[in-house]
Amino acid sequence: MAQVELRNVNKSFGKTNVIHNVNLEIEKGEFVVFVGPSGCGKSTLLRLIAGLETLSNGEIVIADKLVKDLPPSKRGIAMVFQSYALYPHMTVFNNMAFSLNLQGMNKTEIKQRVNSAAKILQMEHLLERRPAALSGGQRQRVAIGRAIVRNPEVFLFDEPLSNLDAALRHDTRVEIAKLHNQLGVTTIYVTHDQVEAMTLADKIVVLKDGEVMQAGAPMDLFNNPANEFVAEFLGSPKMNFFNGIIAFKNAGASKADFEGENFEIKNIKLVSQQKERSDFVRLGVRPQHLQIDPKGIIHGKIMLIEKLGVETIVELITVKDKTPFRFATQKMLELKIGQVVTFSFDPSKVHLF
Amino acid sequence: MVNRTLSNVVLGLIVIIWVVPFIALVTTSLRSEMATKTSGFWTSFTPTILGHRFSTHDKNQELKSDQLSGNIFKRINKEQDWFPVSGMVESIMFKGRVPDPNNPEKTVLQKKLVPVGEVMKVRGGNFIFEENGDFIWTFPKDSKLKPKKLDVFINQDPVFAPEAYVEVLIDNENVPNALISSFIVTIPATIIPITIAAFAAYAFAWMRFPGRDWIFIGVVTLMIVPTQLAFLPILQGFNGLATWMMALQELLTDCEAKDSCSVPSKSFASLWITHTAFGQPLAIYLLRNYIVGLPKELLESARIDGASHMQIFLKIIMPLSVPALASFAIFQFLWIWNDLLVALYIGPSSSDERVFPILLEQQLGTFGDQLHLLNASAVISMVIPVIVFLAMQRYFIRGLLAGSVKGG
Repeated sequence: MAQVELRNVNKSFGKTNVIHNVNLEIEKGEFVVFVGPSGCGKSTLLRLIAGLETLSNGEIVIADKLVKDLPPSKRGIAMVFQSYALYPHMTVFNNMAFSLNLQGMNKTEIKQRVNSAAKILQMEHLLERRPAALSGGQRQRVAIGRAIVRNPEVFLFDEPLSNLDAALRHDTRVEIAKLHNQLGVTTIYVTHDQVEAMTLADKIVVLKDGEVMQAGAPMDLFNNPANEFVAEFLGSPKMNFFNGIIAFKNAGASKADFEGENFEIKNIKLVSQQKERSDFVRLGVRPQHLQIDPKGIIHGKIMLIEKLGVETIVELITVKDKTPFRFATQKMLELKIGQVVTFSFDPSKVHLF
Repeated sequence: MVNRTLSNVVLGLIVIIWVVPFIALVTTSLRSEMATKTSGFWTSFTPTILGHRFSTHDKNQELKSDQLSGNIFKRINKEQDWFPVSGMVESIMFKGRVPDPNNPEKTVLQKKLVPVGEVMKVRGGNFIFEENGDFIWTFPKDSKLKPKKLDVFINQDPVFAPEAYVEVLIDNENVPNALISSFIVTIPATIIPITIAAFAAYAFAWMRFPGRDWIFIGVVTLMIVPTQLAFLPILQGFNGLATWMMALQELLTDCEAKDSCSVPSKSFASLWITHTAFGQPLAIYLLRNYIVGLPKELLESARIDGASHMQIFLKIIMPLSVPALASFAIFQFLWIWNDLLVALYIGPSSSDERVFPILLEQQLGTFGDQLHLLNASAVISMVIPVIVFLAMQRYFIRGLLAGSVKGG
């Protein structure tokens, strides 16, 4: 039985429909990441689960309870906000104890719970401080601590790292991953950052315009994207696309031959299987999957070279029709701007959309 | 650059225009009645030449010698409790008969200013005085002296004393009574509307109910209703209320047997109600705009934590709204403290229940020529709001929200 289940969830603000028929099952203990560009409805979806927005249509089940008409506090969820939303006039202890006090829990138990949460997050020394006296990372931890003490069925994180600087973001990300392993609580995490999604998730849900594009394990999505949007959204640098048409479609419809402006190649996995022969398609190749090969089929002129230390990213345009594309490698190469390089790729790693 | 100088000059002018009357009030209230009547307040900061009359010694003082010495200042200050004269003696106006140089048989009336150090003939003796006021009066032979009154001009040092305050606050009950009445009116009339408005402001800011925005606009629109326009209906209302109260009292108590049952329609309570009603629109408007600006996440977080609207209001919103509450409290306090009109028409009419502005207005009649007393009362009435302001000022802590949300 799924821990969280969304059935035909719809949400509209006035006439604009922001969530379309979302169906989703989240298993107990799973770490699910909602990812998508801004405005895709991922935060709205999270707020619907939290009960901060009312459903226009559909059902949400959390821990076998239909929560459609329950207030947020009765849904067994705890939420960490992007802005932390700490109560500025209360000490860290009182911030964490606030919900327990409201439940009417006795003082010793509150103290015990807060202390154990503080211990998990290694912030026992901060309990008497006020939020104003904390750094960004510490505030973030208090916000997480406030969620932990409630002992929820589901943790909801709404872009919790976007207010932190890059270094702290990485550390906190690792900490959240560890925390999830330690507590094993079902977690729903919203982010627009595909790196966070890839590293944290057991399951990624890619959203676009209020619709689920694809849901699944990170590497599944990375290797077998269900559509062009997912393919482009996941992975850094972004996937390269080359325009062309289907020259031949084989009987099983799973593979096709590609004929493009720049090159032709046979027997490529066809993702958009409804497309027919001579339909317009795009061939997607990840920058990492290109390799320099004098006998290759893509000729590109180097426009810019970015050396990131571990990786080098080269921006190119094809010689024939000037389609921009990128090449990423970990090898140290002697390349110059303006030079023309020839690339090949493993046909099993590319997709036709 | 020129612009800046100009704006500084304008700012300086504004400050001067506002500060001068206050200085005038305070200065005048600290001067003697005599001084307020004879010269303007601006002369009181620098030494001024003033005339005084003093007698050389007391009438009943037995004196029989050929020399009398004393000090002019001591003589003058004998009757001064509050405003001792000090400074430098300039001259004495001598008035008396002296032998006529043209006609030795006769005397002529001489009037002349005698400077320090010059000997002058007074009643046949040589009178000489110094700058510090010491004088010596010597006679050729023993004589019985009668006190002589002399007019002396003294370059007098500035002198201030709280005489008027003592008179107004201690010797007389009117000002203390008015102070107490004003507090009785002002404190509830400040606290009640703020409390009500805070609840309303929260509801307008964060609760969803049909017609919320229209009701809010309605409330804000009420700000344009002038108080004067409402006096008549309000008074009628209070009259009706008083009649009911009287009937109720007759019914429930045996007031008739002991005393009269009448309930005044104009009372402190009527003032509280009126000020509450008229303070409400602005209070709701100000507080709502403040509360609506509090981070939404705080309220959502509290909702997830299981807080009801009441708990969110009391535990989150109220503590965070202290700056707004304090600033509105100051406003409300100020205009109720200074309110004359409402108090005059709706407040209690007995003389020991009148509020400060009414007292001041009446003092204008009674103390019209005693500027120092009038000004002392005025200063007292001004000092209270200043104290309130300074006391509340510490609640205007900037960045009270710091730490709740990023950038807060």
